[in-house]
Amino acid sequence: MQRRTFVQSMAALAAAGALPISLNTVLANPASAVSVESLPELKGELTLYLGRGEGGLYENVIKAIEERNPAFKLRIRRGPTASLTNAILAEAKAGVRRADLFWAVDSGAVGMVTDAGLAQPLPTDLTGQLRDNFQFPDWTPVTGRIRTIPFNTERLTANDIPDDIMALADSDFSIAWAPAYASFQSFVTAMRILKGDTVTADWLRGIDARATKFAGELGVVMAVERGEVDLGLANHYYTLRLKSGKPQANVDLAFTRGDAGCLVNASGIMALTDNELAVNFIRYLLTREVQSYLAEEAYEIPLVDNVAPPAGLPSLDTVSPPEIDLTQLADLRPTVELMRSSGIL
Amino acid sequence: MKQWSPSYPFAIIIALIALMPVGVLIWLAADSPQLFDARNLDILTNTISLMLLTAAGAVILGVPLALLTSYVKLPWARFWLVLLAAPLAIPSYIGAFTFYAAFGPGGEIEQMTGINTPVFDGLVGSSIVMALYTYPFVMLTVRASLLSLDASLVNAARTLGMSLFSSLWSVVLPRITNGIAAGALLAAMYALSDFGTPAILRLDTFTRMIYVEYNSFGLSQAAMLSLQLLVIVGLILFIESRVKGTRERPGRSLLLWPGKLRTALMLLAASPVVIFAIMLPLAIFILWLWRDGAGNFELVYAWNSAYAALFAAIAAVIFALPVAQAAIHGRFGRLTERVSYLGFGVPGIVMGTALVYVGLQLSMLYQTLALLVLAYVMRFLPLAVGTIRSTSERLDPSLVKAARLLGASRKEAFRRITLPLSIRGIVAGAALVFLEVMRELPATLILSPLDFETLATYLWRVYEAGYFGQAAIPGLLLVVISGLALAVMFYGERWNQTDIFEEEPSVS
Repeated sequence: MQRRTFVQSMAALAAAGALPISLNTVLANPASAVSVESLPELKGELTLYLGRGEGGLYENVIKAIEERNPAFKLRIRRGPTASLTNAILAEAKAGVRRADLFWAVDSGAVGMVTDAGLAQPLPTDLTGQLRDNFQFPDWTPVTGRIRTIPFNTERLTANDIPDDIMALADSDFSIAWAPAYASFQSFVTAMRILKGDTVTADWLRGIDARATKFAGELGVVMAVERGEVDLGLANHYYTLRLKSGKPQANVDLAFTRGDAGCLVNASGIMALTDNELAVNFIRYLLTREVQSYLAEEAYEIPLVDNVAPPAGLPSLDTVSPPEIDLTQLADLRPTVELMRSSGIL
Repeated sequence: MKQWSPSYPFAIIIALIALMPVGVLIWLAADSPQLFDARNLDILTNTISLMLLTAAGAVILGVPLALLTSYVKLPWARFWLVLLAAPLAIPSYIGAFTFYAAFGPGGEIEQMTGINTPVFDGLVGSSIVMALYTYPFVMLTVRASLLSLDASLVNAARTLGMSLFSSLWSVVLPRITNGIAAGALLAAMYALSDFGTPAILRLDTFTRMIYVEYNSFGLSQAAMLSLQLLVIVGLILFIESRVKGTRERPGRSLLLWPGKLRTALMLLAASPVVIFAIMLPLAIFILWLWRDGAGNFELVYAWNSAYAALFAAIAAVIFALPVAQAAIHGRFGRLTERVSYLGFGVPGIVMGTALVYVGLQLSMLYQTLALLVLAYVMRFLPLAVGTIRSTSERLDPSLVKAARLLGASRKEAFRRITLPLSIRGIVAGAALVFLEVMRELPATLILSPLDFETLATYLWRVYEAGYFGQAAIPGLLLVVISGLALAVMFYGERWNQTDIFEEEPSVS
């Protein structure tokens, strides 16, 4: 779906005055995605701290929501998630509250703010719209991403790649990774939870022996694509976005099974002020329209039931991600210390 | 014993303001459990090597270019000056990223032309990129010193049979050590505090550790590490303060009129710098623009960048004048000046957060333009102080004394003697602050008023998401606006009264 048609379709829905289906309909069927048609109109002004820099796509969603709700204005501060988290904590300490909403790119940041008791509880009919593993009392995931193994298609096929992430440490592939990147650290946290610290430390050292470090995972995927290494460790969307700009790119995705190697992590949003409008704004982000737009254009994984995953990615049901509570991933400090003592960071 | 300069009280207050964020760091670091550990030693080696190589590279590029732009009568002189200063407008992480994308197997150069190029990374790669984006610090500070030198010494040397080159080497060079040292200091501190370039080019430095701590919510550890970095900064500041320049009378500056062929050769020799520092990143951006499309860029971002940077440049100069004056006046003033430098060596992300704490103390002003400008001033004051000090300290004090003797008040002497004679340094300082503010990111992201998008924050947004094509237009605009600003500021140099001599040809 192109931006223009997306904006138009949302605006058209507004213009047609489509009868809002009452919230009871949503309550009656909590597991299915809600349409924007069924939501109440937003009126007033909100401030959002947005911990990510997506060029355009989030803007399009926000513009479409504003176009549909002429009496609604969203003011946004964008910045790296860690900076905004620190700013929110500093503001709270000084007794200043500027943000109504915080949309963080990783669950670690979410944990920092919810642990400080700054997030407001969300209504259960809202959190109930998400898949079972993604329901939390005071924040809600917006979209997900999955850990993948991007590989160079000129050197390897998907069959060459082990479906056990632990086996990668004993293989002889050359590997690209980005240990300083937040998503990677969440993945190591998941491995720690599933396999324990000693096994994880051994795995890290095993990979490190044959790995090249990159600053971010886009760099990882680019290095895989240009054949500097056989394969890499990265979030799925970098590969899909690279391929959308360059369809003949020499890179494809492989998945491990049931371990940290295919962890599904999420970006999350929370309300920082007790405000009905903020909660209703979150409802808009969880609608079928917004979720499928983000899936199609940003290649992010919808976490609301009954919305199709992005093209080029198998459905979440076939990938078999590990059973992990995302809030456990906020336990980042021991991970960083483990990585440092293993000589990775 | 000299009497206390009237600039001292101002200098002390300003130095304290500049020191506030460092105070916040100390307070934040108090929670940190760990001190220095031995594993950090090779990271420390990398950091110091990068710093030294960057400073050396910036001097090697910056000094000849300063000579070229201040003494050689070039066609379109202002254009060349602006072009050669323009790398300051490009964030070095953008430069690093385009270098990384252009070179190496499978890089853009190989894809376009089939020519194999070596991979661009590590200590060598990082130092080259850093030098390419910091040499204008040296060029501008040295140029400011060069222009206030009296040409008659060089002319005398040449009359006595010295060649042009050896007279530049042994007559001019020793007299501009202050300018070189001031520029090299800024380059070194930039290299110490920059995160993006070494991270992209895969060099483990101190800033990387700080970044890792910061991102894993170890703010107190990040603050502690930043304070450790400040020890290195303090050491450099000390070394730089030992560099002693000479004191001399100002006079009309040297002007060389080489033939067409020589001029062309000189410009040709300077062209690789322009090609690599400016044309290459822009070419890569344009390639990506053509591949990905432009996205939804709005011109108001450019306007926001420009006026915030202008306010900051003006404010920084106003703050810098008393500090620079105090630094010339005596040892204590020198100390206040050194202190005002510290903040420049703190990595941007940590500094950004420290400024949030400072800003929250003035919660009326928090996230307003006024506070953002103040934050810029705290962060970039040294840029203005360094250039102003290095030009005003070669002012002949007897000029001011003569004016005072003739009945001028302190104020009048400052306005009619000191200010006009140091206008070059003031202009260069304002230019440096302007350019640095244009590309400043971490503090802008958090402290700007809501919905205040600048070129740098927009660049960050699209870069972060990997939509590089959309970086082309803001990238170009960043260079163009900075170029225009530089042109206006260099034009402003004509206020300098000694320039009336420039019209007549000097012997060469």
